[in-house]
Amino acid sequence: MPIQYYLFLSMALFCIGIAGTLMRRNAIIIFMCIELMLNAVNLLLVAFSKMWHDASAQIVVFFIMVVAAAEVAVGLAIIVLMYRKVHSVDINILNRLKH
Amino acid sequence: MKAIIAATILGVIMMFSSILMKDKKAIITIAALLLAVLLGVNIWDVMATKKGSNFTFLFNNMILISREGLWFNMLMTGCTFLYVLLSGKDIARVGTHTAEYFALIFFILTGVYLLSSYNNLLILFIGIEILSIPQYILAGSDKKNLKSSEAALKYFLMGAFTTGILMMGVTLLYGSTGTFELTRMDFIHQSSVNGMSLAGIIFLIIAFGFKVSAAPMHTWTPDVYDGAPTPFTAFMATIVKSAAFYAFIRLFQNTFGGISNHWTIVLSIITALTLFIGNLTAVFQQSVKRMLAYSSIAQAGFMLFAILSNNAVASQGIIIYAVAYSVATIGMFAVLMKLKDYTYDGFNGLAKKEPVLAFVTTIFLLSLAGIPLTGGFMAKYFVLQAAIMQGQLFWLVIFALLMAAISAYYYFRVIIAMYFKQGNPELHEPLSSGDKFMLALTCVLVVLIGIAPQLFLASI
Amino acid sequence: MNFLLLAAEQNTPFNYLPIALQLLIAVGFVGIMMGATHLLGPKRRTKDKLINFESGIPSVGNARQPMSVKYFLVAILFVLFDVEVIFFYPYAVNFRELGQEGFLAVLMFVGFFLCGFIYILKKGALKWED
Repeated sequence: MPIQYYLFLSMALFCIGIAGTLMRRNAIIIFMCIELMLNAVNLLLVAFSKMWHDASAQIVVFFIMVVAAAEVAVGLAIIVLMYRKVHSVDINILNRLKH
Repeated sequence: MKAIIAATILGVIMMFSSILMKDKKAIITIAALLLAVLLGVNIWDVMATKKGSNFTFLFNNMILISREGLWFNMLMTGCTFLYVLLSGKDIARVGTHTAEYFALIFFILTGVYLLSSYNNLLILFIGIEILSIPQYILAGSDKKNLKSSEAALKYFLMGAFTTGILMMGVTLLYGSTGTFELTRMDFIHQSSVNGMSLAGIIFLIIAFGFKVSAAPMHTWTPDVYDGAPTPFTAFMATIVKSAAFYAFIRLFQNTFGGISNHWTIVLSIITALTLFIGNLTAVFQQSVKRMLAYSSIAQAGFMLFAILSNNAVASQGIIIYAVAYSVATIGMFAVLMKLKDYTYDGFNGLAKKEPVLAFVTTIFLLSLAGIPLTGGFMAKYFVLQAAIMQGQLFWLVIFALLMAAISAYYYFRVIIAMYFKQGNPELHEPLSSGDKFMLALTCVLVVLIGIAPQLFLASI
Repeated sequence: MNFLLLAAEQNTPFNYLPIALQLLIAVGFVGIMMGATHLLGPKRRTKDKLINFESGIPSVGNARQPMSVKYFLVAILFVLFDVEVIFFYPYAVNFRELGQEGFLAVLMFVGFFLCGFIYILKKGALKWED
């Protein structure tokens, strides 16, 4: 299969992720959209890895997955911290800092 | 190289010290001692490489050790040491997990060292993540304060979003070159540039723009810097930002330097916007902490000149700028932490009550504004000179000077409040002689950078 | 390094036979198990048998109650420790080629890992009861 197919697919996924991040108001859904962006990158990396006959991109995929897991741990903890205070994960509530 | 390992191990030691010890004073002492050890390791690293020597590659070319990078590491570790000595007590006051805060600072330093020595885009990614993830935690460390949690959530969402964009840039570069190794990426010839690699470079500019808070990717900065506990804001705005800038300049000067005609125009628009938005918005702030957040955006605008100008003076300039800006800002935040009220009115009449505090604040602010004889002047001189040498950025230099004049307004407002207004500023606790000594030392450093900047570049 | 590419080199449908077999066995096992318990188990459909079973006492309150934070903490730690195992896959595949140096590197990785584990143990993150 030509590389363009993979490029278009992962670019589409990436754009869905960006659009979701910018438009949704629920922190969890924003977070899921960010994960979608990272997974689009992973898909593209694997496709490029096959194209260049070089496995190093697949190792990078592993690293992205692990770092994403670390981010999930910290991020969910922060979201839970927020939820316990305001009983909502809607980011429209986050405007106290703007005087 | 030794410093990377040492920082990791010392961070783990710091983490475990919370189990063995409960006393906050003892933990601060241990943190300062371990940082001194780390500084020693850094100096050892610098000494071990000969002056003017070439690069050393480590770990299958993943890491490139250069004397300049080691020198930058050493200066940043020195700034962290100064920061812990100045505001260790304030860090302990944020919450109950004092040892963990220091451990996270050590881990952030590991990220700084990786960012000054990466030769592989994977290491760049890991370095940026090691730099960022502890910061999300530090921003939210004041768990009782809703503003702090808000800042953490906002910072986290923006940071994770940036990670996605950064990785997309890295992937597109890999797709067009077939390697993650920077020294193997062949961007010297214009013919090797194609649409995919240009898209990758644009993604990287956006991602770095988020990390160094350049406009229009700066919107998170004021909220996060304002909401995060003040001691950690000081750290985020100085050492972390400098490290991100150093990574930025390493990538764009060494790897993409040959094709600068493709990205200079994008970056110069970003620079102009950053200078404009940072300075103009800072004028209208009522809180000094928020003003400093906008001022950090404005200073980022000046640091962007170093990346734009793409020559040898620029790489010296970024080091001088990083040190001068870090020392002055750390000092300024240390003063802010002593006060209870962060508005301009909170500074009214400080000169009468605490003349020493008012004097050092004046020096820090003069340095941030870039008045001669202070570090800030020399820093701005270096980066603007580099931009003039580049040849095509004259309009931007004029614009930057205009903006520097505006910046004097909001910095001097604090000085006027301290010296010419009546009031009774409240302090958290009276200044101890140790505090005074440290503030004076910081002040001396600021002036030293202004008088003898070559001392801070001597050994590259 | 290109261990993953080696497998993909002879790209014929025949290569997917083991995967198909695996799928068949997995689905078959689940199907047989569920069907067998359904057929073999004794059935006595009385009213008492069909109500929700909660240790013999009548069910109380709503099922959607806030979960304890302890559970959340364990879940987060599981995510962290679970994903780190991913690094063992490339090591396991290249176990022989990497030799002594690779072994030491993995040992160091596990060592840091263990540090984190000891830390959360000492901090009492895994203590289930208060």
